[in-house]
Amino acid sequence: MTHPPAVFEWLLSAALARDDRVEMVVGDLHEEFATRAARDGRGRASCWYAAQALTLAVWLPAARRARVHAAAESRRSGDRFMRNSWRDVRSAVRALRKRRGLTAIVTLTLALGLGANAAIFNLIDRLVLRPYPLKDPDAVVLLSETGPRLQYKKEAVSPANFFDWRAHATKLIFLSADAWWDANLVDGGQPERVAGFQVTSGFFEALGAQTALGRTFVRDDETFGRHHVVILSDALWKRRFDADRSVVGRTIVVDGEPHVVIGVMPPRFSFPEGSEIWSPIAFDPQMPPRRDLRYFTVIGHLRPGASLEDAQSEMSVLAARLARDYPDANRDHGVRVFTLLSGMLDEGTGPLLALWQTSALVVLLIACANIANLLLARATERRREIAVRLALGASRFRIVRELLTESALLALVAVPPALGFAWLSLRALRVSMPANILRFVPGFESLGPDFRLVGFTIALAVLTACVFGLIPALQAATSEVAETLKEGGRTATGRQLLRRAIVVAEMSIALPLLVAAGLGVLGTYRFVYGPQGYEPDGVLTMKLVLPERTYPDEPSRRQFMARAVAGLRGIGGVEQAAGVNNMPTSGSNSSRTIEIDGHPAPDPRQLPSVDFRTATPEYFSLLRIPIQRGRAFTDADRQDGAPVVIVSESMARTYWPTEDPIGRRIRAPNGPWLTVVGICGDVIHDWFNRRNTPAMYRPYVQSPGDSFCLLIRTPADPASIAPDARRALLAVDPAQPVFEMMTMRQALKERTIGLRYLAAVMSVFAGIALVLATVGLYAVIAYLMSQRRHEIGVRIALGASRRDVVRLTTGQTLRLTLVGTAIGLALSIALSRLMEAGMIGVATGDIRIFLGFSVFLIGAALVAGYLPARRAAAIDPMVALRVE
Amino acid sequence: MTEPYLGEFEQTVLLAILRVGDDAYAIPILDQIHEHTGRRVARGALYTALDRLEAKGCLRSRVGEPLAERGGRARRYYTVTPGALRALKQARASLLRLWRGLEARLDSKS
Repeated sequence: MTHPPAVFEWLLSAALARDDRVEMVVGDLHEEFATRAARDGRGRASCWYAAQALTLAVWLPAARRARVHAAAESRRSGDRFMRNSWRDVRSAVRALRKRRGLTAIVTLTLALGLGANAAIFNLIDRLVLRPYPLKDPDAVVLLSETGPRLQYKKEAVSPANFFDWRAHATKLIFLSADAWWDANLVDGGQPERVAGFQVTSGFFEALGAQTALGRTFVRDDETFGRHHVVILSDALWKRRFDADRSVVGRTIVVDGEPHVVIGVMPPRFSFPEGSEIWSPIAFDPQMPPRRDLRYFTVIGHLRPGASLEDAQSEMSVLAARLARDYPDANRDHGVRVFTLLSGMLDEGTGPLLALWQTSALVVLLIACANIANLLLARATERRREIAVRLALGASRFRIVRELLTESALLALVAVPPALGFAWLSLRALRVSMPANILRFVPGFESLGPDFRLVGFTIALAVLTACVFGLIPALQAATSEVAETLKEGGRTATGRQLLRRAIVVAEMSIALPLLVAAGLGVLGTYRFVYGPQGYEPDGVLTMKLVLPERTYPDEPSRRQFMARAVAGLRGIGGVEQAAGVNNMPTSGSNSSRTIEIDGHPAPDPRQLPSVDFRTATPEYFSLLRIPIQRGRAFTDADRQDGAPVVIVSESMARTYWPTEDPIGRRIRAPNGPWLTVVGICGDVIHDWFNRRNTPAMYRPYVQSPGDSFCLLIRTPADPASIAPDARRALLAVDPAQPVFEMMTMRQALKERTIGLRYLAAVMSVFAGIALVLATVGLYAVIAYLMSQRRHEIGVRIALGASRRDVVRLTTGQTLRLTLVGTAIGLALSIALSRLMEAGMIGVATGDIRIFLGFSVFLIGAALVAGYLPARRAAAIDPMVALRVE
Repeated sequence: MTEPYLGEFEQTVLLAILRVGDDAYAIPILDQIHEHTGRRVARGALYTALDRLEAKGCLRSRVGEPLAERGGRARRYYTVTPGALRALKQARASLLRLWRGLEARLDSKS
């Protein structure tokens, strides 16, 4: 049964707790919620419910009170607690309005702190907790094989194992597999490369998805020969087929072969990885499913009544049997069942967002500290007022309540600007994310405020109010009445200690943030603008995938490459053109296991693996990858010539540490021996996990693959050559799509977007923290100085020089700062550990950063402390003493 | 006994309750008002009016049985008191008296 959002139901019930209408009102809303949920869907009904509940929670008590008041001015019945609360709120409003400046500062500070947290919460909520629009997210599972060489959960099941699982699993239904498929779509207009997936029957059913038009795949579609059917995404259907409903049943050409469109998915369904087209997985009886190649991603749905543990234990038994039956392929292989959410989550996302949320909370904490300080200062001003009230018989509880109400109100006032701030930041994030990355971040497109976010922000605001409001409130209430009234409110030692402690705390948590931001920025700068091992400027890049149908064999691919490179080189202003299977920053990689002549591996089943590249002769000089020894490829390296290979510096170092690799031989298991003819420089292929890794390069003609990148170097602006390049390639094959055409610099930037986001977000947090912390320090020192005016006046009157006074106060600042810095350094080490987890290998604890920022923070603190000190030194003793 | 004065919205609410009949509670009352006047009345306004009318003695309410579709909460049904009925009749009569002779003039302007 549909239940309205519990938070709001609770809120409304609480607001009406003393109202005899509570049952009627909450019940009415409940009843109507069910109707609306059935009609408009749960999300909209929940929004409606939230709005109604909030309105009624304020409206009904207020209206009833107004009526009771009007009806019986003198009648002293009614609800005392609520009346008092109401009075608290009104007096709080009055108090806040009286101090607009303070209110504005506090609101702004809080809005920044709360807004940062709201934005990060939304990221976590949408990217980690609810990235897919699934009906029953807990029942959708992802299965992956576990084994010595398997490190990822996706693309980790062999087809033959999958078919055995599917035949025998009883706790799982709709067990289905998907595999990466780059589809070349030719229909009417320009050829286009479309992100697609090949899936088995049951795939859509496992996710609880239905087609908007037509049908999903059935078992018969997996029969080889009858498998030329496709399902389109809503976006593709609208973009390429003008949302024509008669497209179902039509034949379109994909990968050079006619396919019948059998269905169209509803809007926003693009699982997995932003897929736009799906076709069935079918195996040619000539090439039966392999058991030793693992590239399927397998999902399923728990059978109603079965738990994740049930499924896991059943699958474990099954996997053990498969390992026994097929020891060659399955030795040491097991299976794990994950929920889809945890299975699909990128390894890096969790720590990264945890780091951000931690930082956002730290900013909020600093904001809280500042506000607590401001409120403490004000409480001091109000001490006499409070003491008088206490003396006249007001209860301490009441005073605390009043002050807390004031804090809560302050916090709530900050909620709308905080949400605005969060909204702006999220918008900026969304706008700056390139589309081809967006595809791999499920949930990113749905970023934006929703009522969960509003609820979170309000809850956090209230919690914050408790943190920053409680200390001043308790302080105010526990003060000794007689003492306060007697002493005329000059000294307040205990409170000053507390204020100093707060400043120390601020310093000590600002430093780790500064350090983290510094590490992030430095790491990012190094990876985006530092040496890459190649020269990314002046290069235009593009990607192609040749369809099997039109380019079935090596000669046809060789011919295409030769013509494409010649065509590109023929463009006016182009200096060089080359092709490579995986260029740096492309986000893809190939690798090969190798045997080294004369160095047999200790365990033949554990051969070393190196990155594998195939390149045309000009590739090295085009990218300015230095050939350190030997030679680059030339046109003389022909397909029928001697098989040659160039190895990277790191590969040479790893496998021939003491010998000259030139002339040595390596091979893929059972392949022909390849002679090393050259050693080239290392490159950063991918900042994330392929930096200066051992790599081998082969001439493209000797190993022509079907998917590759083309590069051209030009002295002109590379982007301006793009239309010519597209034309030149269409002249080679008018049906061949080209995609991701961009400058190498741009590709590098996009590839490091995560890194740059991280650095930018951390810098913003650190900036806010630094400003808040120094402002806080300034306020405290200034306050302490003003408290000591009298004392300083006496000192000056007795002959202390101005420099003595400055030294006195600066010394105080310095002590506070040093203590804060020391604690901060310890915390920094902890946070930098988290950074290292989030930015594997990029951010490494750098002692210079730690020291540099400590000095920076101390410097900023001294400036903040010097200004009030100078003012104190300028005190005219006559004026200061006359105050008495 | 003099009848209480009824504002325009109060009359609307009372008439809607009379239309719904025995089982008048907030949801059908709102529906009735929307159906006959085209106005979407805020729920808070209705609850407030019901509260006021009951305090004035124009309405009586009784609490029904707890219902599963309301999360185990009961409905509160409202009935119009005889006094309120008289007040409604009076209000209608006085309005009609005021209207008399003006129909032609107002019709021609519309």
